[in-house]
Amino acid sequence: MSKGSFLRPLKALAYLGRPAVTLPMEPRPAAPNYRGFHVNDWEACIGCGTCAQICDNEAIDMVDIPELKADPLAGIKPRRPAIDYGRCCWCALCVDICPTGSISLSREYVHVGPDLNTYYILPDEKGIHGLNYPKGWSKSPDADLLDLKRQTMGEMEPQERLQSFAEMVAGFTPEAALMEASRCIQCGMCHDACPSHMHAPEYIRALWSGDAEEAVRQIYRTNPFSEVCGRVCTRRCEDACSLGNRGEPIAIRWLKRFAMDSLNHEQVRRIAAEGRELAPSGRKVAIVGAGPAGLTCAYDLARQGHAVTVFEALPHAGGMMRYGIPEYRLPYDRLDDDVDVIASLGVEIRYKTRVGHDISMERLRDQFDAVMIAIGLHKGRSTRVPGTNNENVIAAIDLLRDVTLGVAVDVPKKAVVIGGGNVAMDAARTLARLQTRAYGAVQVELVALEPADAMLADADEVREAKEEGVVIVNSRGPRCCIINGERLTGLETVRCLSIFDNQGRFHPLYDHEDAQVHEGDVVVEAIGQMSDFSLLGDKLTEKLDWNGPRPRIDQDGRTSEPWLWAAGDMVEGPDVIHAVAAGHRAAASIHNEIMVREKTP
Amino acid sequence: MRPENYKPVQHSASHEYELYFGPNHPGIEGNYALKCVLSGDVVQSLRADGGYLHRGFEKIMEERLWIQNVALVPRICVPDPVPMEETYARAVEMLGGLEIPKRAQWIRALMLEASRVCAHLFYFGGHAATMGMYSNMFWGVTDRDLILDIFEEITGARIYHMYITPGGVRRDLPEGVLDRLSKVLDYVESRLPEFDNLFFDNAVVINRATGVGTLTTEQALSWGVTGPNLRACGLPFDVRRDDPYLIYDELDFDIPTETAGDAWARTLVRREELLQSIRILRQIIATLPKVGGPIRCALPNPLAWNVPAGSVYARTESSKGELGFFVVSKGGAKPWRVHVRGPSSMHAVHVLERLGPGSRLEDVAQIMFSLDACPPEVDR
Amino acid sequence: MSEEHPEGTGRERLENSTTIGEVLEVAMGFEATARDFYASLAGRVSKPLRGLVQELAEEEKRHYQLFSDLRERPDVQEKISEKIERPANDHRFSDYVQLPELGDYPDDQSILQYAMGREHAAMEQYGSLAEQAPAGPIQDLFRFLAIEEMEHKGELEKRWYELVYPSNV
Repeated sequence: MSKGSFLRPLKALAYLGRPAVTLPMEPRPAAPNYRGFHVNDWEACIGCGTCAQICDNEAIDMVDIPELKADPLAGIKPRRPAIDYGRCCWCALCVDICPTGSISLSREYVHVGPDLNTYYILPDEKGIHGLNYPKGWSKSPDADLLDLKRQTMGEMEPQERLQSFAEMVAGFTPEAALMEASRCIQCGMCHDACPSHMHAPEYIRALWSGDAEEAVRQIYRTNPFSEVCGRVCTRRCEDACSLGNRGEPIAIRWLKRFAMDSLNHEQVRRIAAEGRELAPSGRKVAIVGAGPAGLTCAYDLARQGHAVTVFEALPHAGGMMRYGIPEYRLPYDRLDDDVDVIASLGVEIRYKTRVGHDISMERLRDQFDAVMIAIGLHKGRSTRVPGTNNENVIAAIDLLRDVTLGVAVDVPKKAVVIGGGNVAMDAARTLARLQTRAYGAVQVELVALEPADAMLADADEVREAKEEGVVIVNSRGPRCCIINGERLTGLETVRCLSIFDNQGRFHPLYDHEDAQVHEGDVVVEAIGQMSDFSLLGDKLTEKLDWNGPRPRIDQDGRTSEPWLWAAGDMVEGPDVIHAVAAGHRAAASIHNEIMVREKTP
Repeated sequence: MRPENYKPVQHSASHEYELYFGPNHPGIEGNYALKCVLSGDVVQSLRADGGYLHRGFEKIMEERLWIQNVALVPRICVPDPVPMEETYARAVEMLGGLEIPKRAQWIRALMLEASRVCAHLFYFGGHAATMGMYSNMFWGVTDRDLILDIFEEITGARIYHMYITPGGVRRDLPEGVLDRLSKVLDYVESRLPEFDNLFFDNAVVINRATGVGTLTTEQALSWGVTGPNLRACGLPFDVRRDDPYLIYDELDFDIPTETAGDAWARTLVRREELLQSIRILRQIIATLPKVGGPIRCALPNPLAWNVPAGSVYARTESSKGELGFFVVSKGGAKPWRVHVRGPSSMHAVHVLERLGPGSRLEDVAQIMFSLDACPPEVDR
Repeated sequence: MSEEHPEGTGRERLENSTTIGEVLEVAMGFEATARDFYASLAGRVSKPLRGLVQELAEEEKRHYQLFSDLRERPDVQEKISEKIERPANDHRFSDYVQLPELGDYPDDQSILQYAMGREHAAMEQYGSLAEQAPAGPIQDLFRFLAIEEMEHKGELEKRWYELVYPSNV
């Protein structure tokens, strides 16, 4: 081993002759990927708070900004992240998890000041000192912390679907449900967007932890129609889902279905009965219409100990859920399960009892402490273009009701459907199944005013309809039905150039030269729907205040008559989950009202 | 007390006195005290008295999401943080059955070896400083800074990179960084003759370090010594070669050893290791451009990441010895237990307490530093 | 076309009108007839529809007011030519909607259909009169009235769509 030298170390003295290292006073430019102070694009930020959740130092607070507007339907909360640099460790997990990519770290890294408050900032695009430093560490697609892809859902092949009205969507497997649930970031946008404010984050978390019973318990806090909503909800929640900003929103609807499918009916009944009032209140409430609004109201009131009687004109409960939604989307035994849970709480449903015919509104008023009507929109509108008075021009809603009721339908070999919404798809796809059964071939043409990229119907519905052989013709408006003698032979349409006028009002503009004939033995009109208010009788109709064609209600669903409430599609337009929400509101209002009143003898 | 009951304590005559050495002294990479009993300037007994840097990482990690701990682990050891990230990530990968993409493995090896170069440069400076030779310290720290620049480019941070994550790494390499790293390595290599002049061939240094803090192979093995300290006793054990991880089995490198087992041998081993690390880095620089693919495997949403139940021990050859993470999951979003088996807790407590007695006070700092004991990692 | 329509009886009078004042007076007569028609209909329909009918009556009243104001204004000539220079679009959807027999119990759609038909007829009436009239202020006035009626029809079409077409299904 070397003993070393005494002289060689002295060579380092040469450093005395070298120029000293000097550095400029201003901070050295940071690397392009640097993790300096935060910047946040307020336009892109949705206030979801995921950055605050992932922050391992709790350095991020979500601060309410009064100037910002909340937009629950779009999934935007009026708050933005504030960063405490006394806690921040610049790990940038906030950047990597941000659902929108609004937050980044900049290349600015110097802040000096004696005032501790200056270390707590609300970053915007300009950065901590407003100096517009360039971005450093920002969103990178190859290391995103969010799982942006949805679990695939099994469904029947189109040819198999057409053979029957069997449910076409398979539902999640336990593994897929777990993976899907694990994608949730628990921001609660879904909760805010849901008309009924369902506790989706809570039930998704429960599913993630393997507790389906707890999930159903969370679901039943706000929705007694979860078998239904787990299948056919319009799912505002998914539109608002933060993950939808850059990826696919959580399949909240299918997770709800998975939760409901995981439990047997007895378990659901037990959960629904938890916490109900056992002592009867002695109050009686009549509800007209056993649809989602009416039965939700009945469910709430029955849980509070009131005696609820529901009057239903048709032979089964469910309203539009049964008589409007085809069974391949919603198996009716699932709907029966939901109804049975409600009935099991002591709700009496009188079927085939048409109010206004079998019993008058006045009788209900006199016999009950409160009356709620939720009769839905069961009459189809017509375009009333020439020829629509032909007997082979039918309303979609009548067709769908007849199919559910089992009434023999004359299946047309060729059919034309007018409309671009979900009802139109329901009608077209129902016809496709009936045609397959009767003739083995599908010949359904669907004409929609809207262009293909702005269809009112769900994208899934449109895709599935096409898969089943429905021909969708976009941007066409009906001009007349073609009648040959007495016989309907088709529909003539003209090209629709635009749908909305410059004030955004619905006012289509047509190219009248571009006409086209769609052959069909039957024309199905699937446009608007309306209510049949004849049950009210002349006197009550005259007494009520009206808001256009609908009874005027206050925010709780109460009409101008103090004993009468109204809810659901008939006052709010068609949607199950809105009807559920309206049912809850009306029930709360009715409960508050009748509890302070004398009992009706 | 009544005066008649008062009996003064009788001290026997002694040459010994107790010296509280620290918590700031030259032998440390962080605050750490030693309770020495001295007779003259010869240490009679020595008790390690750590805790100044106790931040409770192991406990905190039980309260953090799996991914959040990525931000915590590098802080366990300041001078050599990358092996902390690597070992934690690998433990989680073992639990979760994650497959690290090839490219990420190469990048991780690059980070580990660059960190070793950093740590060794720091070590040369530190060891010299314990003898009062600060020029070496300045040189080492200055050259190390060039590698920190490379780290900054790759990870956006200089010291605590928080870059290696379970499943891979967080960002791909920026354009041209391998060339720049290559130049830095050339420079570091070209600097070695100057270090030799000042330090490794310095007769004063050799005299001061030889025979100080000598460990026999048997002692080293029975006291849990690992890493360069073990190799300085002649035992060529290296986790990279004997229990290879990442792509180390595809690399060509030697395991340098010395036989003397003293402070000088430990320093010589590290000098040679620095060259080996540069050799490894050159291989990585040559290979990495040919290794494509993703830099991280698909991970579940970290807020709801259910790592399967189980317990694993993952180990890495850090610049200071074998670094192990014992991680227990009971299933769920957070670890149930994380234990860090830092090499320094052996070296700075058990080994130092035994090497201390008989040595001279002025060598205590040198012994501690020659073991490359890192107090933040002891305390955790 | 039912008897209430004023156009048939007024056509001769309009063709023979020679001053702006006269033309406007006949046009006001049409509007007054329509206004009175809706007012009487309001008494016959059920309450949910009454709002619509009353609004239509109001609308006709406004038209009446518009024309009578126009008659009073000295700068009427200027106003008319200004309007003619930027004619509104004719979406013509209502052309495809049949004119209903307005029975004793009309529904909201029939009432709107009827109103659209009336505006349409008036528009065509004024349009053809404008073509026949010699160039000059009278022709301009007919054109103005035709455009005015077309705009009213457009407004009714929008109401029709809002009523008949759904917004979310």
